[in-house]
Amino acid sequence: MGFNGIEGAINEPGQIPWEIVVSYFVIALFLAFYLGKRMGGLKKFTTVDLIYIGIGGAFSVVWEFYVGSFLGRFLPSTSFVDIGFWGRLVIIFIIAALVRKVGVGMSTLFVFNLLSDMFHYGFGGEPMYFIYESLTYGLFVDLMIAVTGGHLFGIGRETASGGASTIRNVAILAGIQGGLLGFLWAIPDPIFYSAFISPFLYGGYVNWAHVMFHLVAFIPGDVIVGILGAILALRVVKAVGQ
Amino acid sequence: MNTVIVNLISWFIVFYGVALPVMIIFGVIRIAGFKEITRFEKGEGLLYRLNPLTKVALGVGVMVVASVTIWWIGALLTLGISLLYLTLRDGLRKFVYLMALVFSSLIISTWSVAPYVPTSILSLVFPNPSSYHVIWTWPSYFSVMGYQSNLTEEALIYGIQIGFRVTAVLASSLLLALTTTTSDIFRMFTKLKVPLSLTFTLLVGVKTVPRIFELLDSSVKMQFIRRFGEKPAPLRPIFFIYGGILGIVPTMIYLLRGAKTMAISADTRGFRASPKRTEIRELSFGREDYVILLVVVGLLILGVLANLLGFGRFIPYVGS
Repeated sequence: MGFNGIEGAINEPGQIPWEIVVSYFVIALFLAFYLGKRMGGLKKFTTVDLIYIGIGGAFSVVWEFYVGSFLGRFLPSTSFVDIGFWGRLVIIFIIAALVRKVGVGMSTLFVFNLLSDMFHYGFGGEPMYFIYESLTYGLFVDLMIAVTGGHLFGIGRETASGGASTIRNVAILAGIQGGLLGFLWAIPDPIFYSAFISPFLYGGYVNWAHVMFHLVAFIPGDVIVGILGAILALRVVKAVGQ
Repeated sequence: MNTVIVNLISWFIVFYGVALPVMIIFGVIRIAGFKEITRFEKGEGLLYRLNPLTKVALGVGVMVVASVTIWWIGALLTLGISLLYLTLRDGLRKFVYLMALVFSSLIISTWSVAPYVPTSILSLVFPNPSSYHVIWTWPSYFSVMGYQSNLTEEALIYGIQIGFRVTAVLASSLLLALTTTTSDIFRMFTKLKVPLSLTFTLLVGVKTVPRIFELLDSSVKMQFIRRFGEKPAPLRPIFFIYGGILGIVPTMIYLLRGAKTMAISADTRGFRASPKRTEIRELSFGREDYVILLVVVGLLILGVLANLLGFGRFIPYVGS
């Protein structure tokens, strides 16, 4: 028994083999940077980008620990609804839409983690959570930015003609990308956390029925909030005047 | 017992767990209180003079001990750390806010675990399920909400164990932000060789957390001034919460708009002009720092001793 039950156990029954996890990290990171470089989404952060990321991290902390956690108490405890997580999803989408450079997703979640350690958790379970949160949720956003060449949610493309139909098309495109990202955000918690990190850190047992149930339970809500989040991000970007 | 009474009491307990913490948060702390217990204010006490690294060490020490020991050690740690708040500026007020936060976190953590924990998990800590003390039997339809059929004393202890673990860490981690200037946190991270851009981003975050509460507070007040909450008094808390939710997006846009001004002012001061910063004032360790570090070592020894004496934690090491 190590500290806090952290064991570093691999090859537990039912656990995802560590080779797959490591190769995911390596390939996804490589893809994000390679595609970002090729399609033009990989740029250096300016000072204002850093500030956006800081504000995004702070907002996520306030939402997840002080607002969402209390609002969530009014709803029945079910796997289908997660107010805290949904708020964070929307906030990260907004920050990503403002910055639109590969690395913004990972950095925002990294800062969120550091801030939540400072204000709430007190540095327990680190550095595993930095790796887990940044390289799953954050990396998905960065991959989307890389694939769209820095035009996440179609931002920056609509200026060509700018008519009413273009604005509608951008909103639809944003909705599709947001929905896809929401779908991806539903995966790490059941698959990564329950079937790899939990046994790795705490020696938890893997119950694939539990994993599959949660996966199916998370997807609908996350997809819907993803779509709404992307559309909200479009509006916020306009209001901030990017 | 009469089924009506059983139902009434059961629902009272449920609302106690759900609504009381929220009522405390909105009644005692309010949004302005959150601003005060997340923001640095100049002061004179011991904690203001400590090196920020010492405060981090204290926080980590408390977390380690609270997570490996029995619930009442966590409770004592929470109390000890909370008393330190009395040495802060406006200490009594901060202490009251913290107590309200601690109490509501405790109820939330306990009640989000105790009614749901199955006997299979509980039996890992309390080996003999037949000896459990049943406190309350829920009506059968409560199982739809995931409730176990009986609430036992053991399940409650299990929940309180998790609760005190959270509160001890919460109280100690807020101390750093409350008593350290932004520049000192900057110096600490520079000392730890954290890259300059990450440190900067992080500090923007540290500064922004209390600012969000401040802006949300103003936003709700403005809405009430504009006759938003002019409803019968019992409905007012609901409008208060609704007003807070309505204020979130405008608050966010306001802060994000301000980002440009902040960036210009950082850039005009030569931020990132050279990769390294030079320090006018170096962080140093004084006698008080060594005393606190000794306390931290003492706490860790206490953690080991408690485990040897059979006062280890009541939470089994399983995940799901």
